[in-house]
Amino acid sequence: MLDLLAYDFMQRSLLAAAMVGGLCSVIGVFVVLRGLAFVGAGTSHAAFAGVTLGYLMGWPPLLLAIVFGLATVWITGWVEERGRMKLDVSIGILYTATMALGILFIGLMKNYNAEVYGYLFGSVLSVTPEELSVIGALTVLVLGLLLLFSKELYFIAFDQEMAEASGVPARQIFFLLLTLVALTVVVSLKTVGAILVFAMILIPASTAYQLTHSLATLTLYSATIGIFTSIVGVLISAFWDVPSGPAIVLLATTIFFIAVFFSPKRERRTRLVHTH
Amino acid sequence: MLDPREPIIRFEHASFGFPGLIALKDISLAIYDGEFVGVIGPNGSGKTTLCRAVLGLLAPVEGHLHIFDCACNELRCHHRAKIGYLPQKGVVDRNFPVTVLETVMMGRYGALGLFKRPGKKDRDIAQEALAQVGMASHKNHALGQLSGGQQQRVFIARALAQQPKVLILDEPTTGLDITAQHNVIELVQQLHDELKLTVLLITHDINMIRSRVDRLVLLKTRLFAAAPPAEVLKPEILHQVYGKDLVITEKDLVIVEDYHHHH
Repeated sequence: MLDLLAYDFMQRSLLAAAMVGGLCSVIGVFVVLRGLAFVGAGTSHAAFAGVTLGYLMGWPPLLLAIVFGLATVWITGWVEERGRMKLDVSIGILYTATMALGILFIGLMKNYNAEVYGYLFGSVLSVTPEELSVIGALTVLVLGLLLLFSKELYFIAFDQEMAEASGVPARQIFFLLLTLVALTVVVSLKTVGAILVFAMILIPASTAYQLTHSLATLTLYSATIGIFTSIVGVLISAFWDVPSGPAIVLLATTIFFIAVFFSPKRERRTRLVHTH
Repeated sequence: MLDPREPIIRFEHASFGFPGLIALKDISLAIYDGEFVGVIGPNGSGKTTLCRAVLGLLAPVEGHLHIFDCACNELRCHHRAKIGYLPQKGVVDRNFPVTVLETVMMGRYGALGLFKRPGKKDRDIAQEALAQVGMASHKNHALGQLSGGQQQRVFIARALAQQPKVLILDEPTTGLDITAQHNVIELVQQLHDELKLTVLLITHDINMIRSRVDRLVLLKTRLFAAAPPAEVLKPEILHQVYGKDLVITEKDLVIVEDYHHHH
């Protein structure tokens, strides 16, 4: 096992996994608390459609992934703000429509392109040095913005109208959060893939949610779980030669169920049920 | 009608709502520094809209609204921190994973502004606010583990942490048992007396506040009255607004049917 760590590709993929795991799990806290879980799922499929268009036209796939991802979250946010449509309806439509676009673009390609499928299912072990630096730069950018606006982000996650009423520019912060979700999805496409990135955003934060009542602790736990499962998942993937995305996600899911089982909140809920 | 004091909130023929739906029409009302005002009216009468207007979440579609010395025809945010707000129960997810102190600290965020981290001074202010509502010993508890009455106290502490001049409470007693209802109203009265806060208390429970407030504001889309309780709580005035839901007993006790039970 230690021999594996000596390879450049292994070091790169561990670094990429740790960054993506940390980033997804930190933004996941705000996604879970603000009730944007489905938005994360929709965005990842939209971003994948961008990737396929990029390969079809010979344009940079990640750039188009960013464009598609941002367009999706901004439309979703705008629709929610206007109160025209429920969030899950608008994202549900965009989710399936962009997926249809992605499949259409793949169908239009003349040759089978294995790289495209890498973005769908993730292939952290094949991360190139260039991709690693893009992941690194975007991770620093997104985490930096999350840190800079953390108190406002917590506030709007708790109660957006209250935040606005007390002078926080809540609408702008909400759109910032949506934008950061889209960027996070794009950063993670290559490592965990469009289908599984959603799990990386959702599971660590939901696991941490079972274990604590404090916002600060929640974020710390979520990040720890995210980084840990990503690194261990990659090691499992390399060691037993199984795909990395599923290895990470299934490991995280296992920890989630263990947390649910041992959750102090679960005991309290059971007690409440008995007393009523 | 001449009052030597300057009003801190002034509605001038102000209407609020959306195209096709007027929630409040032609409101003219002045609220003075240090007043304790009860806002009453049936369900859907525009009480919450009045709150949202004062908070600067809603601009008048006609007329003017001045808060402090600033005209709020355009929504601004710099004065919002000076208005503490307790939203209606149910607006906030009370099982949100947050401690009592973290909740109250959020009251500092608007006043602090962007890019500034809360420091020791802010924590001191938050702790003092918790002490003022009698919840200091609960600062590390989970918000979701508290009783309804305790949660209301914590949310009042969050409003106080803004160091507001005005405190707006939207149905603060809804869903609480009788003891907790009295305790919350008692606390609001005490904060009004001790901190010289201007208080706008929205409620459907007139009996609970009639002996405490300086003035009652009676709403049903339009402003029907804004006067001391003795002048407002008269059958001919209340009947215009409540119609058949109004019952007045021999002891002159005003009972307005509790519409919350009809849902």
